[in-house]
Order: sequence, then structure tokens, then C-alpha cells
Amino acid sequence: MLILVPSISAASLRAASSQAFPKRRLKRERTTDLSFQKTAAAAPCDRQASLTFLPFLFISMGSKEENGDGEMDQTVKKYLRGEAANLEGLQDKKLKGQLAIREELYGKSAKAAAKIEKWLLPSEGGYLEAEGIEKTWRIKQESIAREVDILSLRNQYDIVLPELGPYTIDFTPNGRYMAAAGRKGHLAVVDMKTLSLIKEIQVRETVRDVVYLHNELFFAAAQKKYPYIYNRDGTELHCLKEHGAVSRLQFLKNHFLLASINKFGQLHYQDVTMGEMVGNYRTGSGRTDAMQVNPFNGVVALGHSSGTVTMWKPTSAAPLVKMLCHPGPVSSLAFHPNGHLMATSGKEKKIKIWDLRKFEVIQTLSGHAKTLNFSQKGLLAAGTGSFVQILGDFSGSQNYSRYMSHSISKGYQVGKVLFRPYEDVLGIGHSMGWSSILIPGSGEPNFDSWVANPFETSKQRREKEVHSLLDKLPPETIMLDPTKVGTVRPARKKEKKPTKEEREAEMEAAVEAAKDTDIKKKTKGRNKPSKRAQRRKEIIDRAKRPFLEHWVEEQETFRKKQKTNMETEMPKSLQRFVRQKAT
Amino acid sequence: MAEKKRKERAGGGESRTNKKFKKHSNSKGLTKKSKDKSNMRRKRTGPRLPSALRTELDRLNARISSNSDDEINSDVEKDVYEYEEEVPQEESRKNRRFDPVENYEYELPEDFEDENVSSDDDDDDNDDDFDVGGNEGNLIEDLDDSDGVEEEDDGRHLRMLQGITGMSNDAFEGKKKKNNVVISEAHPESEYNPTRDVLEGDGHITVQDLLEPIQGKPGYSKLRKRVQYMDRKSTSIQAPLPKADREKLERMAVYEHSKKDITKWEHLVKRNREAPTIFFGEDVDLGFSTVGAIASEFEPRTEFEKKIASLVYDDKVIEAHKADGSKLLELNKISAEDYMKHRNHIAKMRSLLFHHEMKRKRVKKIKSKTYHRLKNKDKLKAASAEMLMDPEAAKEQARKQEFKRAEERMTLKHKNKSKWARRILERGLNAQDEGTRAAMAEQLHHHALLTRKINTVKDSSSSSSDSSSDEDDEGSDQDRASELLEKAKEKTLKVLEDDEEVPNSGVLSLPFMVRGMKKRKEEAIEEAKLALQEYEQLEGTVGAVNLKPATASGRRVFGMANNEASESNNKIKTDNKKMKMDNYYGNSDSEDDLEAKENLNITGGRKNDVEKDAGPNCVHKEAADVRQDSVFKNFDDIVRDPGPKTTYEVAIFTSDSWRKMKSENGVDANVKKSQEIKEPIVQNQDLKEGEEESDSDSEEQMVDGILSTGPKDSYELPSQSELIRHAFAGDDVEEEFEKDKQEILNDENPEPDKPVLLPGWGQWTHIQQKKGLPSWMLKEHDDAKRKREETLKKRKDAHLKHVIISEKLDKKAEKLQTKTLPYPFTSKERFEQSVRMPIGSEFNPETAIRALNRPDVVKKPGVIIKPIKFEEVHQHEKPEDHKRSGQKRKPNRSKGAVGKMKKQ
Repeated sequence: MLILVPSISAASLRAASSQAFPKRRLKRERTTDLSFQKTAAAAPCDRQASLTFLPFLFISMGSKEENGDGEMDQTVKKYLRGEAANLEGLQDKKLKGQLAIREELYGKSAKAAAKIEKWLLPSEGGYLEAEGIEKTWRIKQESIAREVDILSLRNQYDIVLPELGPYTIDFTPNGRYMAAAGRKGHLAVVDMKTLSLIKEIQVRETVRDVVYLHNELFFAAAQKKYPYIYNRDGTELHCLKEHGAVSRLQFLKNHFLLASINKFGQLHYQDVTMGEMVGNYRTGSGRTDAMQVNPFNGVVALGHSSGTVTMWKPTSAAPLVKMLCHPGPVSSLAFHPNGHLMATSGKEKKIKIWDLRKFEVIQTLSGHAKTLNFSQKGLLAAGTGSFVQILGDFSGSQNYSRYMSHSISKGYQVGKVLFRPYEDVLGIGHSMGWSSILIPGSGEPNFDSWVANPFETSKQRREKEVHSLLDKLPPETIMLDPTKVGTVRPARKKEKKPTKEEREAEMEAAVEAAKDTDIKKKTKGRNKPSKRAQRRKEIIDRAKRPFLEHWVEEQETFRKKQKTNMETEMPKSLQRFVRQKAT
Repeated sequence: MAEKKRKERAGGGESRTNKKFKKHSNSKGLTKKSKDKSNMRRKRTGPRLPSALRTELDRLNARISSNSDDEINSDVEKDVYEYEEEVPQEESRKNRRFDPVENYEYELPEDFEDENVSSDDDDDDNDDDFDVGGNEGNLIEDLDDSDGVEEEDDGRHLRMLQGITGMSNDAFEGKKKKNNVVISEAHPESEYNPTRDVLEGDGHITVQDLLEPIQGKPGYSKLRKRVQYMDRKSTSIQAPLPKADREKLERMAVYEHSKKDITKWEHLVKRNREAPTIFFGEDVDLGFSTVGAIASEFEPRTEFEKKIASLVYDDKVIEAHKADGSKLLELNKISAEDYMKHRNHIAKMRSLLFHHEMKRKRVKKIKSKTYHRLKNKDKLKAASAEMLMDPEAAKEQARKQEFKRAEERMTLKHKNKSKWARRILERGLNAQDEGTRAAMAEQLHHHALLTRKINTVKDSSSSSSDSSSDEDDEGSDQDRASELLEKAKEKTLKVLEDDEEVPNSGVLSLPFMVRGMKKRKEEAIEEAKLALQEYEQLEGTVGAVNLKPATASGRRVFGMANNEASESNNKIKTDNKKMKMDNYYGNSDSEDDLEAKENLNITGGRKNDVEKDAGPNCVHKEAADVRQDSVFKNFDDIVRDPGPKTTYEVAIFTSDSWRKMKSENGVDANVKKSQEIKEPIVQNQDLKEGEEESDSDSEEQMVDGILSTGPKDSYELPSQSELIRHAFAGDDVEEEFEKDKQEILNDENPEPDKPVLLPGWGQWTHIQQKKGLPSWMLKEHDDAKRKREETLKKRKDAHLKHVIISEKLDKKAEKLQTKTLPYPFTSKERFEQSVRMPIGSEFNPETAIRALNRPDVVKKPGVIIKPIKFEEVHQHEKPEDHKRSGQKRKPNRSKGAVGKMKKQ
């Protein structure tokens, strides 16, 4: 059934041979090769390396430190995560001392992290560099193939599966495994390192999407009527009937939530640990095929046919943000790993890049994209028809320009593009199977074993599963700005004062409750009817008192206000007749 | 007079130095004294002032005298010695004790003989020994005059007393002392109640005064010399300060001192206070950590231990051990298998014992008569078996039995031929009370039993032995009964079956006849069914005594029976037996019914089998299904349903589902279409997808790598109308979005209600209508509006036309933020900046984590925390450098520090 062709297709090879090759420098770094040699883990974006340093490294590299001081300062600043508190005006000496000590520790930590980044994470991302008049986007995969090593070469291939329809793919967070789903019911799990098929099953019904759960052992497939969860061996574990006929699935790995959008436009969040349905909301915007999780904060974004993009969290029934991105329907969207950039594509042949901190368009590119994806290093892949374009931002000014392009042979229709994590590889799911091409500089060269380990052993995987379960975040931590967690809550708006009727009703209720209380039986003489009546009255009075007091207070404030009003509002000539306050 | 006295006192020292002289002049002094007194008397005899005036004058005099103190002192210094007779106490008016009136009466004794006076003085003399701080006047008197003659007299008197009584001198003296306590003041003298002398100043007691009485005693001279020496270099001593002041001063001094002492700790304490972590017992060596290590240090101390040690560490022994000790040990060893075996064996035995015990317990508790009867029978049987083996026992048994039988015959308890029974029968059973009737019944029963025994013995041709127990007989009995029942049942069933044959011609084929027949048939069926049930029940009851063990479970047997499809009395019986057993163990009657139904089902199933000859499995299944249904339904099934039902049902189900699925698909497609119609923009891709969905399991061929449908669709040129719609789609969308935003804004910040009056209010005059709404209403409305505008402006999406940011509060997320600023912080920014860094191990390098997460106090368990020790600390040193330098603070202090640290 499945034919693995770990080589470049014949057509493209022919093209390569015919092409005259200008001299060029090709800088590329194979992350996998390097990472075999190094022991230290790496830190992508936010997290820092966590392995202990080897002392000899510091000894040998101490002399080198001077020249890169400016650079170091930059990285230290990055790891300080913002400004230190200003202790100048602080009155409290004790607090001042404590904060100073804390800051010092933070500084040390940041410095150590910066050192690690400098010395222990030596892998740099590769990139293509053009010389003279040549352009990077003219470089074909064949010419890249000629330059790279054998291991990388293995990542260039087309897999042709003609029968079971357009394929969609998903990678595990560490990029080691891939799940592919053919529209007509073909599910396959592939080990990407050995390029061996682990399992394939035929479900004999439409499969619209496939997504990995927290590790390679489980994946969910959106099938004709319901989504199902399978394990690696293809055993059906769960049928999630509540989700209905789902068109897109997403997994929030920090929260262990499986999010789905079904064909009625209902958004479901299900906790995959306990099976609890966390949220079930109607988007009210019809069916959609554009759904993506913001990796930074866990907010799910949906692109709708009305040109809007809505962002959701599992604890609110209304969208957090609703933005009009395109005049036509939104065909796809993608998030930058740092969570600040969003790319959307509309049917009106525009690709827009948004800054999510300001909710403003940064850049508008022309072109159609059926599918979009950001790589770990921030390259943006857009696929349409049988053409894949990679946009890059090398100036650092968030100005995306053409970087590479690739057209798939024989006009296979691209269904999904997805960068493989920790590899310079772009996976393409198309109508006739899937392909894999090399995109230099797309993957994160230094991995952090706290985040994801491409060389994970089964023992490590088990460990990690437990750890990630222990660190599971509750669904309410999903918010637009997760740094707000742990800070001071902004002052709430004042609540409305209860109206007079409400207050009266409240008092009535209190009085009734007081009346119903049983009076204790007292000794002879103190239990006379008159005394009992008196006691009852007392109880009622006591119940009434707080309300009355409140009323009196209010009256007083009202009177005061009136008085001041009178003073101010009276004509000047009459103001002297206002009764003076008795002092 | 007071002056004189004072003078005299000032010269006291001198008088003591030349004592001898004083003694000599004693007589002279005495005469002078008497003269003085006579002078006074003379004065008093003259014209007198009133007493009040006199006292006043006296007082004045006294004051003057005190003023002119210095002068007098200087006088005193001039002359060497001047003796002056002291004024009597009465005269000096020291106390009010002496009334002026009484004084007059006292005048007479002034002229008396010396002896009396001397005796008075004598008293005084004795006084001064112990009443030192007391009446100084008296004391002086002593010194003046008592020493001479009086003392001699005294001595004589004492001697006399001694002679008479033969007691020692001291005894009398002591006695006297006690008796002669003179109370010179109204109040006892004390710090708070000083004598006048003390108050006025000059009433000091000198050391000489104190030395005087001990003159001549051993060590006196030494003491005197010392005093003289001190006198020579004497300096005046200030009076001590009040106690409170003194103490305050003392405290101040101590404070100054201790402050100096304490401040040296200040840096140490400050350093500890500022340190983020305090370490206790860092450099303490805990010593041995294992028992083995401790044991290796053992040294033999006592005799016994030494002896043992010598044996153990004997070279020979060690060698021997080395040589074959290990072998011995090996021999000692038990293999794991053996051990396991042994253990398992023990465990088994134990469990067996336990189970046996439990069983015994249960059996012991059984109260059922039947059970005991059966048990006894078993016992008998066992005994009979024994008899066969042992002739002796057999003989014994036979004898016993014979005896029993004889006894029975004699009592004739089992026959109603006894006198008692006959009489009762004569009188009539009905006339008897319950007890008697029961007794009669019992007798009869007994009789019946016995006779039946005989009968069976007669009938059973197989053996004459005792082993043919009545149980078996019962079984045979029951067999017969069940046979009968079986027959009856079969017949009824036949009737039921036969019912189906309906004559096709004749009168009976007439419609009303047919109807009537049907009715009757139904009734008959009904009856038959009832009868069947009854039979079943009867069978059950009949078989109640049957104890043949039913090995197979009911269901099993039932299934097998079906397979066999044979007519089966036995099978039913076994079933019944099982049921009966159930009943036997205390099940309710309802079970009976159930079982009966089951039985019916069996028959039904069997019939099915016979009739249709369907595959056994199939029928089995069906029967299994049917079993759960009620009897009636089952019958219906039998009557109506010819084929095996299950397959049919499945077919229905599947076809239904097919239909359902199809219809659903159809609906889907419809929905899809309608959606598409509604949507202004038609998407090619979507259309394709829709198609795919509607008939996903069929068609769409793939021809050599190229999708036949997909690409074609996408390459199709959009029609003109579509293009137009595309072009104008934007306007629509934007408008909609605007509307949406407006709606949401209104939802989150509702617009204020328009001011309205009650309908009809003020409308009957035109004045108010012209005026319009009251101004306050309008104002309120305006305020609310303004407020809303402001809040809208404050929204995050106020300036973003294309964005709606929800401002709804998420209550669940609220709990992730602090309600109030934590204690030591005063500004929000500072707090937020202080918590900006994550301190977890995922976010920090290994070297920094420890420091970031170190607790406030680090100590080792089991290590004593020693009190703080002084060490030199430089004032401006950083605390961290000293962090690890051992113990620093007392534990309770550090605890306080912990608390404080926690708060931050």
C-alpha cells in the first residue's frame, strides 16, 4: 500500500541536471548531526538550557569571553526578562535589601544563561546566501541536495499514495514522528529518523485532520462523524462523540486540551487527561477550516468566512478578540512561535502579517495561500495549488520577503504545509501523498530537553509524560496575556447600588427569618407572654437594625450633598442665608 | 535647755577620752544637777504664763537655738571640758508624754535621797546596751553618772542576789534588761519615723559611743586603734540617695556598660538579618553514618567481652574459619527453592486449617431440621459401613436397634390405640385444644413414617440391606409423580399445538363459528398455560426432597438439551432440581415462577427445533434471547414466527441503519446546499469538499497520480457573477463587522435608557408638554451618556476599527491574580517587577536554581544548633561572603527571621 520513496522524484532530478549551476556558497547546518555530538540541551526562544556546565569548558573558554561582551550583554538582557525594580525611592529598608538580593540572583542567573547560550549552544541555524545576481528563491531542491550530507538528503523525498486522497500531516513536538492522514481513511504513523512506517490503518471513512497528543503514543483523527483517539499501534482508544463531525483539531500540550471545530461551527475543548469537556461554544460564524493555536498563550484562533478571525479561550463563551482581517473569507492562519505575529490569508489573494500586541497589520503580501505555517525560526511557508513559497525575515524588522520556493511535480495539490521541529525540513501534505523538502534555517538548531527532545528514549518519554502531567496548566490560565498571572488584579468597576425596593425586600426577608426563629424557653416568670412578645420584638428590631443604619447613613450623606449643592447653586446674594454648620 | 544638751553631746568624744576624770567628778556633777533643778523650780514658782503661751515660747526658743547652731559649736570647740547637767526629759519636752500637770506632782522626789535617783539612772544604764538608736539623752546620762557609785551598788546587789540564788550574774542582768524597756516616743522609731534629733541634724552616734561599752573586752584596744586611725583621716560622708534614684543611676551605668558590650554584636546581627539564607551546622562532622561503621569501632571492655573477643579473634579459629568456615556456611544455607517450598507448604496447611475451621463454624450454626435429619442419616450410614467392617460393632449396633424397636413397640407411641388416644378420639378431636391435636397429628405422622418404611422394604426388590434409604424411595416416588406431570404437560402442549389446525370446511368454517372457536381456543390456551405452570410448580415441590446432585449448571444443560433436540424428561427434571435447590436455600416463591417460565421456554425452544430444524446454534441463540421475554410473548413467537428470528432482526437493523445513514447523508447534503445558498461567496474548494463528504465512500477515482476532480475544480475560471460578488463582498463584511462591534459595545456598556415620564402624566395641560421632560431627568441621561462615552474611549479597541477586544471579566481567571498587594510592597510596579522572573528549574541554569530557591534557614537534621559566637565582622562587608561560616544565630531568632522572609 504505502511506498516509501526516500529520494527526490525523477522529474525534479532531471530538471536539476539540466540546469547550469552558478558558483555559490551554501551554508547549512544539520542540526541532527551536531546534536548527536553535544551533550548540552539548548533553549529555544523562552527557556534556558538546564544541564549543568562542564567545568573544563569554562576554563578553556574563559579567555574568549572579552570580545563578545556586547553580545553577551544583549543576551543577558534577554534573560533578565525586563527591567529590574527601581529601589531608589523605597522607604522600607528591609524590603529594599531583600529585593536587591533577589535582583542580584536574577542577574547571576541571566548571566549564567547567557554564558550557556554562548558556549554550550554552538549550533547556529543555516541559511542560503546568494551571490551576485542570483536569488535564493531560484535555488532548487536538487541543487541543495548536491551540497548537503547524506543524512539530510534522506529528508528530501516524495511519497506517492495515489488512492487515498489528499493527505494532511502532523509532527510530534520533538519532530521525531509524523502522523499522516489520507482523506479517504488512511492513517499512518511514521518514524522520521529511520523513515520507517510504524503503523498504518484504514478507517474506511473520511479523515479530515490528524493531530498528535502530548507524545507520539496517541493521536487524534477527525473522522467522518466523530473524532477518534488512536494509539501508536492503531488501536482505537476513544470515540469523542460530543465533538460531532470535526473539521479541524488542535492540541494544547501545556493544558492537555484537545480543541476541535466541527462543521456547525462549534468549538469544543476536551481535557484529554480526565476526559472532561472543558468548553463547548458556538462560534456563530459557520463552518471553518482555519484553526490554529497560539503557542505562546494557548489561545485558539479561528478564521471565518466573513473575513474575521476570532480568538477563544476555554473559559469564556465570547471570543476574546474578534478582528476583521480580510474582506473575503479567511482561508488559513498561522502563529509565530513567539506568539506576537500572526499570518492570515484570505480568498482575495492577500496574505497579511499581524502584530498581536497591537492588533495591527505589519505587512500585506499579495498571493494566495491555502495553508500557512511558521517555522521555529520564523520562516513562513505558504502553500497554494502545487506551489509552496517560503517567506523569510532576515532583516529582523519583521519585513517578510521571498526566501525560497518549491513547486511540486505533476501538479499535486498542496493540502498542508508543516515545518518539522528541530529540522530544516518542510513537510507537505498533498493530494497524492506527502513530500518533504529542505528549507535551510527553518528549524531550531539547539533543542532543550525540557521542552522537546528529538532523541528521546522511551524512558525519557515516560518521565516526561509524568512531568508534563504534573505541570499541566488549568484551562483558566489561557488568556491573551499570560504574563498577567500572579500580578495584582486591576480594580473592579464599582458594583451597582441596590435599589430601594431590593433593599426593602432584603429587609423583609431578614425580618421574616428573624420571626421564624424559635424563642428559647426561659425560667418561670421570665416566660410570660408579655416578656415573650417583648423578646420577639427585640429580635425583629435587631434584624432590622443594619438596614436602618444603612438607611440613616445614606440619608445623611444625601443631606450633606444637598447642602453643598444648595450652597454652590444659590445665587451669590443668597448664599449668606444658608445655615452655617455648627462648629 | 536643748542647747545645753547639744553642747554636751558635741563634747561627748572628749568626755570619753578623759573618763577617769569624769568619774572623779561624779559627785560634783550630782550636786550641780540638784542645784539646777532647784533653780528651775524657783522659776516656776514665780508668776506663770498660761501654758499655751509657754509652749509657744518654748518652740520659738528651740527654733532660735537651731539657727544659732554654729555659734554653739564653736563654743564647744573652745572649752576643753564643761560638764552640764542634762535637763530632765520632762523639762526638755521631747515628748508629750509628760504632762505639765504631772510634772508638778513630780517635784517632790527631786529632793529625795540619792539612792532613788541612782536606781533610776541605773535603769537607763542598762538601756543603752541594746537601745543604741534610742534615747540619746539617756545614754549620755549613763556616761555621766551611772558608772561610779551606782555601778558599785549594782555590783553589790548582784553579788547579793548571786549569793542567795547561786545563779550567775548574767541571768539577772538579762532579766533586768528585758524589764526595763523604756518607750520614749509614741511611735516606734524607724526610717519613716525618725526622732527629733535625727531630723534636726546633730544627733549622730559616734563610733566612740559604740566602743564605750565594750571597753576592756578582748580586742578592744585593737579596735580603738583602728578607730583612732580612721578619725585622723576622717572625711565627711554624704548621706545616701533615695533608693529609687540610686537604682536608676545604677541602671544607667549598667546600660552604658552593656551597650558597649552589645554593640560589638551589631554587625554580626545585621549581617545575619540581611542574609537571604542562614546556615546552621554546615561544618559539623556527623561521624559514622551506618550501624556497621559504629559496630566496627567496638572494643571489648568487660571480662566477658574480652573472653569472647579472644575466642573470636583467636588465630586458630580464624584460620579454621578461613579454611572451611565458608563451607560450613554453605551447608547451613537453605536453597531458595526449598525455602519457598517450605513456606508454600506451611501457607497451604494454614489456609486449609482456616477453611476447615470456617466450614465447621458455619455448619455448626445450621438450624435446619432437614439438614440434621440428613446428617444423622449419613452418620447411620457411616455406622453401617463400619458394621460391615467390624463384627463387634455390628453386634452392638444390632442390639441397640433391637432395644429401640422394643421400646417403640412397648410405648406404641405411633398408634392411636393407646388409652389416652382412644379416649381423646371418643371425645372427638374437634373438642380438643391445639396441643393435643398436634400431639395426635404427630403420632399419626410417626405411624405413617414407620409403615411406609415397611412398605418400601417390601417393594424394593433390589436389596434387603438398610442402605436403601427413604431418600431414594422418595426419589422414586417423585419420579412417578413427575412422570405423571410430564404426561399431563405433554398432553396440554399437544393441545396447544393442535389448536393450529383449523377445519377449512363445514359449519365450523363459518365466520362466527371461527370467531367463537378462536375465543374458546384462546381461553383454552390460557388455561393450558396455567395448567402448565401449575405442573411445573408441582414438579418443583415434588422434587423438593430430591437430592441428586445437579452437576451441570442450568443454562448449560439447557443449551445441550436444545442441541440434542430430544424429548427429555430427565433434562427438565435436572433443571427442576436445580431450581428446587435454589428454593431450598431460602429463595422466594417468585423464583419459582421465573423458573417455570424458563422451563416453558425450553419446551418452546425444543418445539422450534423440531419444527424448523434450524441450525442448533441459531436456535440456541434465539432461545437464549427468548428466555428473557415473558412466557406469553414466547408463545406468540412460537405460534407466529417460523424462521429463526435473530437473523431477520439483524437484517432489519442493518437495513434500517443503512437507510438511516443514507438519509442522514442526504440531509447533510441538503444542509450543505442551503448553507451555500445562504453564503454570498461560493468557494470552489468547499464545494468539492461538500461533494466528497456527501458520498465519501464511493467514486472519485484516482488516475495515475492525478486527482481527477480536484485540480480541475480549482482551475475552473470563476463566473462573472462570482467575480462581482467577490468584488463587492468586502463592503458587506465590513458593515457587518461594524454592526457586530456596536452590538458588543452595547452589550458590555449598555446605553442609558431614554428618559420617559409615565404615560398620561402631565398631559392634560399643555404647559408641561411644552416644557418637555424635567431638567434633572435630562441631566441624568446626559451624565450616563457621557460616562458611557468615556468608558468606550478607555477601551483597548477604541482606536482599532477592525478589532473587538472583549472586556468581559473571567471570574475563573481572576483567582490567578492577587486581590491586594502583598504586604511589604507598596507599589504595584515594584511587585510585578519582582515576580517577573520564573525561578523554576526549567527556566534557570542549574547553578542559579539553588540560590534562587534556597530556604531561609538551612540546617542538618540531628545537628545541635549552637548559640551565636562572636567574631569580627567588618562593617561594610557583604553578607554573602560570610554565608557559610558556621553557626551564627540562635534558632528562635532565626525563626523570626524566617517568618519575615516568608512574608515578602
